[in-house]
Amino acid sequence: MIHIRDVAKIHHRGETEVHALRGVTCEIPTGSFTFVVGPSGSGKSTLLYLIGALDEPTRGDILIDGTSLHDFSEAERDRYRRDDVGFIFQSFNLLKNLDAVDNVLVPYMPGGITGERRHRATELLRCVGLADRLDHRPNQLSGGEQQRVAIARALLKEPSLVLADEPTGELDSETGAEVFGYLRRLHEDSSATVIVVTHDERYIRPTDCILRLRDGHVEEPDPVDTPSAPIDG
Amino acid sequence: MLKFAFRNLLSRPVRSLLSLLGLTVAIVGMVGLFSIAEGLDRMVSSTIDRIPGLVAMQPGAPIPLFSRVPAAWGTEIARVEGVHAVSPEIWQRVNAIDGKMIVSPPRFLFGTDIDAHANLKFSIYRDAMLPERGEFLVSADKGTMHAVVSRQIAEEFDKDVGDTLKVNGHNLTITGIYHCGSLLLDVAIIVDINRVRAMTRFDPSSVSSFYVEQKQGVDDEDLAERITDEFRGRELDTWKPSSLVAQNGSGSTVIDFAVRIEEAWKSFGKKRPADNSPTKSEPDDKAASLPETAPDTADSPPTLAVDDDLPLEVRSAASWADRFEKMSSDLDIFLLLMTGIGVTVAVLSIVNTMLMSVSERIIEFGILKANGWSRRDVLKLVIWESGLLGFCGGVLGCLFGLIVTLVVNALWPERLDLYASPQLLTFSLCFSTALGILGGGYPAFWAMRMLPMDAIRRG
Repeated sequence: MIHIRDVAKIHHRGETEVHALRGVTCEIPTGSFTFVVGPSGSGKSTLLYLIGALDEPTRGDILIDGTSLHDFSEAERDRYRRDDVGFIFQSFNLLKNLDAVDNVLVPYMPGGITGERRHRATELLRCVGLADRLDHRPNQLSGGEQQRVAIARALLKEPSLVLADEPTGELDSETGAEVFGYLRRLHEDSSATVIVVTHDERYIRPTDCILRLRDGHVEEPDPVDTPSAPIDG
Repeated sequence: MLKFAFRNLLSRPVRSLLSLLGLTVAIVGMVGLFSIAEGLDRMVSSTIDRIPGLVAMQPGAPIPLFSRVPAAWGTEIARVEGVHAVSPEIWQRVNAIDGKMIVSPPRFLFGTDIDAHANLKFSIYRDAMLPERGEFLVSADKGTMHAVVSRQIAEEFDKDVGDTLKVNGHNLTITGIYHCGSLLLDVAIIVDINRVRAMTRFDPSSVSSFYVEQKQGVDDEDLAERITDEFRGRELDTWKPSSLVAQNGSGSTVIDFAVRIEEAWKSFGKKRPADNSPTKSEPDDKAASLPETAPDTADSPPTLAVDDDLPLEVRSAASWADRFEKMSSDLDIFLLLMTGIGVTVAVLSIVNTMLMSVSERIIEFGILKANGWSRRDVLKLVIWESGLLGFCGGVLGCLFGLIVTLVVNALWPERLDLYASPQLLTFSLCFSTALGILGGGYPAFWAMRMLPMDAIRRG
């Protein structure tokens, strides 16, 4: 279970304070497929990054299976991001100098890449339909292909938590549905907790949890109501 | 990670190349400049190593060319316990050969007492005679215009044994050709001492120096001290560098440089009379108790200080080496300053390259951190990149530097002897790599401190 307790986050832009989150309290069940929805500027991505330990809250705390992220040391945060969390970004965030396989292997580069891990990376890329794109660099791949590489990168860790920030934001509907298909399969196969930030509620299923944010607050209690127009991914 | 760092550099080829070239040029300069010092060091060391005996000469004279001592002292030196043989020598600069003015490389008339020379067990020139290229001077050559010349001189003037060489207007007949393989030694035209006196109007009662060969098992320093003590209290003008150098500059950049360094050392380490008048020895008890050299202190370099109360200075191979070491350390400081300029520019270039690279890749560092890279990992990546630049710049710099020294040596074999030792090349490579790492340090630190969230947001 992920416990989010009175989390606030203030960004400083010059002398201006931007209140991205204004005391969010909620719980995200382990193994759930959770959507964080809300208008632009509601604090969705900020909350996602805080859960992923990419940033620290100005106030409040986040507990992952009972352990406070606040209490994590620098090394523990690194390990948490490397081993437990798989990030999928809207703009794919692949490294342009690396081919598809090496992009998948990025988390393990500092520690050295074993042959077994490289083999696994190749297999994952095959699974997401990129068998003939293994040695391609990001600029040689389409948007959908890049996002699939990013998904493979997240899958390689066999993470307990997958954080996806607008994963279909730069993709057409068909490719977006395809990407969600992979996320659904990951969720079903690994029982990982998947949290997706999105504007597009068409991909939400009745069994999914929904966290609605507006102006930095939780709009409705969680787990919340079922979506109005669920779409199979 | 190394592969990743390499790819990152390749992704900005022009910038990386320019930075690499900047460092390469700096390292080429470093190798080139220090190869001068190493070449000099090697040349002098190899030359000194070939001189097993002692040289007795006028105190303070940097080399025998600038020395004058009474010829009669040779007999007294020969009587000192431990002396096996004494060979009087006259050194005079050659101004013209076959109508060609000699400036650089310099050539010297070396007048030797042929009979005394024959008594030496080891003779640099005699032992370096080329086979089937004539013989060294023998008793029959006394009083004649026979000469033994170096292979360099013979080749320069297209001469061989039996040919005539016109030196300072005098015709000499070449009877032998030697080759020592040292720029400092292969400069002599060896003639009977009395003929040199006549040719150069050298004072008949003086010689430049005495080459003293010790008996087997005799310690150099002990013998030098005994000879010096033998002459303590005698009167002899000390050498006056300002006048002699002005009149008799050797014509060799290397030798003149050595003379000037020595002059500077002495003026630094010792006060001279204001009127620059000849300093006479005063054989009183106080003077007699003075050591040959002053104590070794930082303010007064010991072996280069001149004791005016000693009319004769006896130098062993060790003291020659010591003198040269001090001169070369000064040269090293000069070269270090020169190299420093190039190195500073190269480091700034690397810092600039890496700062630009880092600032352009903020998102990338955010992605890496989001994927579990620690601050240290990011630091290592940037350091790897700058270190690679440094290493490659070092490899290229050493390679081109080595080529430059070989080309220069091939182009001017009689004038220059540059030497880039394996130690110099290794040091340059390590230094270059260290510079690269240093240059990438600040940008790496900057990249390391960025929060992943901030980095990704900027994207």
